[in-house]
Amino acid sequence: MLAIRKLVKIYPGPVTALQGIDLDIPDGMFGLLGPNGAGKSTLMKILAGLLEPTAGTVLWDGEDMLRRPERIWARLGYLPQDFGFYPHLSGEAMLEYLLRLKGIVSPRGPRRLAQELLERVNLDFAAKRKVKTYSGGMRQRLGIAQAIAGNPSLLIVDEPTAGLDPEERHRFYRILTELAQDRTVVLSTHIVEDVAVLCPRFAVIHAGQLVASTTPTEARAALRGSIYEGSVTDAELPGLRERQQVTQSILVEGKRRVRIRTAGNHVPPGFEPSAPTLEDVYMVLVKTARDRDGAGREVPVLAAPREAGR
Amino acid sequence: MSQALEALERGNLAAGTPRQNKVWTRFLRVAALDFSFQVRRPLVIILFLALVLTTWGLTTGNLSISTGDQSVGGKRAYITSEHALALTLCVLTLLYYAFFISVAAGTSISRDEEMEVLPLLHTTGLRAREYVWGKFAGVLGCFMVILLLQIVTTVLIYHLLPYADADKIRGPFAWLHYAKPALLFALPQVVFVTGITLWLGERTRRPILVFLFPVALLMVVAFFLWDWSPTWLDPRWNRVLFWLDPSGYRWLNETQLKVDRGADYYNTAPVAYDAQFLWSRVACTLAGLAAVAWSSRRFGATLRGAHPTSRRGRRGAVATAAVASTVEAAAESAPLAALAMRVVPVSFVRQAWTIAWFELRNLASSAGLYLFTPLILLQALETAYYTKSIWTTRLIVTPGGFTVLTMNTLTLCIVLLLLFYTVESFDRERATKLQPIYSSTPVRTGAFLLGKALANCFVAAVILFAAWLGCAVMLVAQQKVGMDLRPFLVVWGLVMAPTFLLWSSFVMMLMAATGNRYASYGLAAAALIATGWLQVRGKMNWVLNWDVWSAIRWSDLGFLEPNGLPLLLNRLLALGLAAFFLAITVRLLGRREFDATRVVHRLAPVELWRRTVPVLLWGIVPAALSIWLGLLVWHGFQSKPAKRHDRDYWKQNLATWKDVPQPSLAAVDLALSFEPRRSSFRSAGSYLLRNAEPAPFRQFALTLATHIDSVQWTLAGADYKPEKRSNLFVFTPPTPLAPGDTLRLGFAYSSRWPAGSTRDGGGIEEFIQPSGVVLTSFRPILAPMLGFQEEIGVEAKENRYEPRQYPDDWYKSVVPVAYGLTRPFTTRIRIEGPEEYTYNSVGTMVEERVEGGRRHVLWVSDFPVSIFNVVAGKWEVRRGAGTAIYYHPGHRYNIDEMGRGLDAARRYYSEWFHPFPWQELKLSEFANLANYAQGFATNITFSEGIGFLTISDPRNQMAFTVTAHEAAHQWWGNLVTPGKGPGGDLLSEGMSHFATLLLQQQVHGLQGRIEFAKRIEERYNDERRVDAERPLVKIDGSKEGDRTVTYDKGGWVFWMLHDLMGREANLAGLQAFIQNHKDNPDHPLLEDFVDEMRPFAPDPAAFDAFTRQWFFEVVVPEYHFEAVQREKQGERWVVTGTLRNGGSGRMPVQVAAARGERFEKQSAAQALEGPATQAPDYAESRTPLELGAGEAAPFRLECDFEPDRILADPDAQVLQLRRKYAVVRF
Repeated sequence: MLAIRKLVKIYPGPVTALQGIDLDIPDGMFGLLGPNGAGKSTLMKILAGLLEPTAGTVLWDGEDMLRRPERIWARLGYLPQDFGFYPHLSGEAMLEYLLRLKGIVSPRGPRRLAQELLERVNLDFAAKRKVKTYSGGMRQRLGIAQAIAGNPSLLIVDEPTAGLDPEERHRFYRILTELAQDRTVVLSTHIVEDVAVLCPRFAVIHAGQLVASTTPTEARAALRGSIYEGSVTDAELPGLRERQQVTQSILVEGKRRVRIRTAGNHVPPGFEPSAPTLEDVYMVLVKTARDRDGAGREVPVLAAPREAGR
Repeated sequence: MSQALEALERGNLAAGTPRQNKVWTRFLRVAALDFSFQVRRPLVIILFLALVLTTWGLTTGNLSISTGDQSVGGKRAYITSEHALALTLCVLTLLYYAFFISVAAGTSISRDEEMEVLPLLHTTGLRAREYVWGKFAGVLGCFMVILLLQIVTTVLIYHLLPYADADKIRGPFAWLHYAKPALLFALPQVVFVTGITLWLGERTRRPILVFLFPVALLMVVAFFLWDWSPTWLDPRWNRVLFWLDPSGYRWLNETQLKVDRGADYYNTAPVAYDAQFLWSRVACTLAGLAAVAWSSRRFGATLRGAHPTSRRGRRGAVATAAVASTVEAAAESAPLAALAMRVVPVSFVRQAWTIAWFELRNLASSAGLYLFTPLILLQALETAYYTKSIWTTRLIVTPGGFTVLTMNTLTLCIVLLLLFYTVESFDRERATKLQPIYSSTPVRTGAFLLGKALANCFVAAVILFAAWLGCAVMLVAQQKVGMDLRPFLVVWGLVMAPTFLLWSSFVMMLMAATGNRYASYGLAAAALIATGWLQVRGKMNWVLNWDVWSAIRWSDLGFLEPNGLPLLLNRLLALGLAAFFLAITVRLLGRREFDATRVVHRLAPVELWRRTVPVLLWGIVPAALSIWLGLLVWHGFQSKPAKRHDRDYWKQNLATWKDVPQPSLAAVDLALSFEPRRSSFRSAGSYLLRNAEPAPFRQFALTLATHIDSVQWTLAGADYKPEKRSNLFVFTPPTPLAPGDTLRLGFAYSSRWPAGSTRDGGGIEEFIQPSGVVLTSFRPILAPMLGFQEEIGVEAKENRYEPRQYPDDWYKSVVPVAYGLTRPFTTRIRIEGPEEYTYNSVGTMVEERVEGGRRHVLWVSDFPVSIFNVVAGKWEVRRGAGTAIYYHPGHRYNIDEMGRGLDAARRYYSEWFHPFPWQELKLSEFANLANYAQGFATNITFSEGIGFLTISDPRNQMAFTVTAHEAAHQWWGNLVTPGKGPGGDLLSEGMSHFATLLLQQQVHGLQGRIEFAKRIEERYNDERRVDAERPLVKIDGSKEGDRTVTYDKGGWVFWMLHDLMGREANLAGLQAFIQNHKDNPDHPLLEDFVDEMRPFAPDPAAFDAFTRQWFFEVVVPEYHFEAVQREKQGERWVVTGTLRNGGSGRMPVQVAAARGERFEKQSAAQALEGPATQAPDYAESRTPLELGAGEAAPFRLECDFEPDRILADPDAQVLQLRRKYAVVRF
């Protein structure tokens, strides 16, 4: 388990990226959800040992990750948000290089292992091509391949499905699910669907603060009975936003389908109750946190950020 | 800038069409943005500072035109003249600007690509040409600003900065002196380099190729185009090379500077630009602009994928699409566990090797290595091939010689390559964005560094291997010397490898400290500039000479002498520093981004101590080594304390003892014992002093080298303690030494030579080393010297004074000897040392025995001498007719030719000048620790680089020539020793050159003499100084250019006199001259020679006219043809024209129309049989003319053959300037 306590990161500027995160990440898949600029990548880099925090501690099974980050690198699989490869090497050669650096072995040898890993991520057809000819999605898959190699005990993946088509995304979900069965996987994303599909537990970060840490079921349960869905015109939407907490707004066959969160006695006409989705939960949390930051006052938010047993 | 742009935009919008305005505006915006980026870069600031510092250094006149008279009151070249500024600008622009411009221009487009800005930029209305030209304009604008600032700073420094000798080297301010060179030399170079590197960067997108471009430019231009100008080069090809030189230096040097026109000319006349030069500058500028235009077209074509990258790429893309479409959507892969992956610890070495291997793969795909290896190789080969001895003869390439000759070139090129490759390698992870993944692997930082370093050292290994191959090819082509790997392993392996390790680690440290490749380039460039500055200013020493620049000499006779210990310490220091820099790099190279707010914690004493002490521990060994090395230099014979001792000698004794008469030496009895392996010796003996003066000697003085401490003296057999004045020993005999009386003075001391380490490597004139011994009576090391030695303690910049000015009738007095002692003396020299050495000295060996592993020899002079020497070595010997050559067994190449030369010299000089009075004439080889030859009586010494390793072909016979010259000193220098005064040395060196001309003609015929005469005439052309040249009778060796006048002009003048007087009369006069002066305490000067030769002249009036202009004035003709026409008239050809003497002097000269090669080509075997004969196809027709200064005369030649050329002075009988232009080819 990863135990994060009072983690602070302030960049010169000053820019406070993390404002004292307290979080426990159990074994298995854990999602980190938040908008762009929330501090997810900063947290990922600290966990991966690439960034020194300003304050705080991170223990992994009792071992201080921040003091001796080199001790976790042998057990770490890391897929950054923004990365590249040597353009002059083929995908296979690049992966083989990383396998050798990490000390990853298999009965078939590093070259064959590289080929098989590329097969797993559907890149075998381009194994011999130079990385500089790869599309963005292909590079992402190569990144996934190097991250999952070697059975890492801790897998940190930051926005892993960016650039992947739906088919590849589902392939990746299968891989991650398999991996999460006996290790810790921290998945950082702003795509709610990723968390909904993969993560039994997740946390929401906004503006460097932990807003919530819960399970999808609990999160949805907290909103049960307060989500309504209806149609409005584009002209009505701004007014609705002023009066209600709009969680989603999509155009369906020329009509604006809107989901709102409201108490039972403030339901606008034409709106029907709807089962809450994780998207609703996320939008509520983020909007509320934003309002709290703006107003500087306490506004009721979703239930307790602290975990049982801490 | 933005306001200007807005105004421009408004104006343009009002004036032109909207589309045109937008084009112009976009271009300006790109240019302005890039300009503002470039001017703020540290690189630019470093460039400007380097230029300012260099300019300031140039105010002392260190980089100036070689002209003028450096003596006090002499005319000197202005540093502010247009010629001087042109020279400065074309050199500095290439050496400084090229590198910095390459970095700026070459990466301007690839930088945008790295930052992934290009897709954003080019989805706007920005056109490719606006973008590319805008980038070019931005960079060019930045460096034009720097150039302008450089000019302004130069004006301020040159004209306003106080300097003691300002009035001598600063002329009046003229803005055109600055503007024209800037526009014609600097600006085209800047445009050229900017354009080419921008194109290179855009085309390849590989920074390494961009950064290597200035290296290539340096090698091709500075090392080749500037320097390479062999005498045989056709003037038409020379003009082609002008066009190829973007700096303009070759044109400036060849047309304006090479043949000195005098300081007055350079100080006042503008540079005479010709149309060809101006067009070449336009072409250079246009080449840069064309490169940008080409880049712009190509960039535009590839921008939106319109340009097919390759057919293979297109096929690949189609195939990929086809494959992709067939990929099954399901592709349910087996579980990951089936791969059975696991992580095992990887050793440090294995990690390093993995990194190195993959770096090497990148290098293998890098075009830079393939491009620059042959270039560097060519440069190194050219250096070795064209290296010349002091006789301007090419040397035989030997493995050892090759390694040392090419060391500087290879070091510089490899250091620059390593800089680029190391920085780019270090930055690769960041540039490719692999950094986050890379840093999260368990690779140790040390393995990362080692792996990268190993791969980059492969660059050095490839180049060295290529150079070795080149040497092998040269050796095979040369067919003289076999391959020997040991010098390569020693010099390139043990000596150079630590340099590369040190430099690589230094660059890595810079990258780790700055995290910025451009800052690293700038700091590394600053380090190189600082190193170069120390070298140029003569302030380098063993501690700082990290690149061992010019510090070692190779000798086949001895191993890296005399610098073994300091070299070893220097190399250990380099390795220690490399380790220290690596430790710092590991400390600074954070895999993890440091938190800025924790910096304060890190600076806390305890934390600082904890972080720095482990690193500082690595510095202990290099610190200790540098102290040891420093002490070694401090206690050496070239150190400041040693110089201070010498200066104390000078200060204490100059006023009292300079030119004070001393007793003469009647006999020298010396017992020497040598230990070459320890560089030590013992000298014991006695001098029999005689008073040959009319007055008694109450006191006399002897000098010993200032490092010799403990000496035992005796006087008349009794112990004596003289007054010691900084190693001038003053003797006051109990009874003054009366005229005619003798007194025996004894001495004994032990010493070492060299005494301690050199300051910065290099060679040494006299030595005791395992390779052998060379000691002479010219220095107070072998034995004490009589009197005060005024050259000891004199340093060029500190206290050198100009030589005495003698009255015109000085020669009429009793002139003392120029060197050695006024009256010859007898010698009895006993030598003992290890038996494997042979010990030679002056005179005849009368005894030799070997006892107990020691050899004992006794040399006794069979005819008095005035100087003596001792030389020892492990030799073989070739004996001839009264001659012997002692040589290193591996240097047989020229022995036969040298033997022929020595035999011929002994025979013919004895016939022509005076019978050789000694029994045997010996010539001994010594190690290449110095580069000279000395003609002591019966015991000539030659450095191995002279004669023994000279490239000698049947045409020039250079080994024969140098032997003939040195042998001539037995007569001209020993039998007749010149007097101390102006013109004296010509009777030694000039006469020896003359004797060589005679001997060449005797043995090798007309061709041999002509070749030698042209060679020394060419050297005179190159090295003379118009303003400093004085008449022969005034030459005293104190001015620049005196050497070539003494040797080359002197030899020519004596030859022309011989030609004028006729052979018999001339030789009769020379014989009488020698007879008169060989035992005469009145030593001759040149006026004596003229006076004594005159009675033998068949035509005294002609003799007077000749000697007046050639001995007492400074003249030299320069012939060229005008209006030459060749036409067929019936069966005959008629050539008409005018010959003009553009120089000075009046001499008869022949004009010849000729056809075909004059002499038959000879093989080496044919050359042994006799001189080259006239080729059967050769034909000529001649007519004599006589022209004075500025005169011209028409000529008409009728030939019964079709002439292919017309030339002046076909037999090389008149010394002249620019002989190769006194030929017209049809």
